Amino acid sequence: MANPTSTKQVFATVLKQSLLLVATIAVVGGILGWLFAGSLGLAAALIGAGLAFVFGALTALSVYLGGRLSLGGFFGVVLGGWIFKLIGFVVLIATLKGLIVGGAKPVLFFTLVASILGTLVIDSLVVLRSRITIGEN
Amino acid sequence: MDVSNIAAISGNIAVIGYGLAAVGPGIGVGLVVSKTIESIARQPELAAKLQVTMWLGIAFTEALALIGLATPFIFA
Repeated sequence: MANPTSTKQVFATVLKQSLLLVATIAVVGGILGWLFAGSLGLAAALIGAGLAFVFGALTALSVYLGGRLSLGGFFGVVLGGWIFKLIGFVVLIATLKGLIVGGAKPVLFFTLVASILGTLVIDSLVVLRSRITIGEN
Repeated sequence: MDVSNIAAISGNIAVIGYGLAAVGPGIGVGLVVSKTIESIARQPELAAKLQVTMWLGIAFTEALALIGLATPFIFA
């Protein structure tokens, strides 16, 4: 695949590759979750992988969309998005804590951590490969 | 006088973990963004490059926040 040469290409590549990786982790985690904790384990794996992708994708989108605004707008979108995302994550986790019980708990945790670490690797590789021209924007 | 207990706290210790998981990465993300804005103000032509680098910094920092917030799932 050609190296990304603009911010748009960087974020598009990251989103596509992250989606593929997270889907793979969701399938593998879902199978393991099903084996260890039944249907609740399967649901926990899908929720864990989904959460990691949505929150990672929101960061990428906030930087990409914020980059089109003025410096103040950029700051507001990126940091404002971060606050709302964290509040949303805390609310979701607090809600799920009562729903996901027993053996499904570690399934959710480990699929979430695996998805986060996996997407970080993809982010790093894409940024390292990118060749963004000076003066873009 | 026999004093065996001079202070007591009650509640869930995981709440302190939630707080720490938000404070640390919050400071980290603030620093990353503030330095990027400073750099863009100095060299606006590098804005695109700096934004992508900043995003990578935020992604790594917020990974800690997400893992920290999810930790009570397995350790609580």
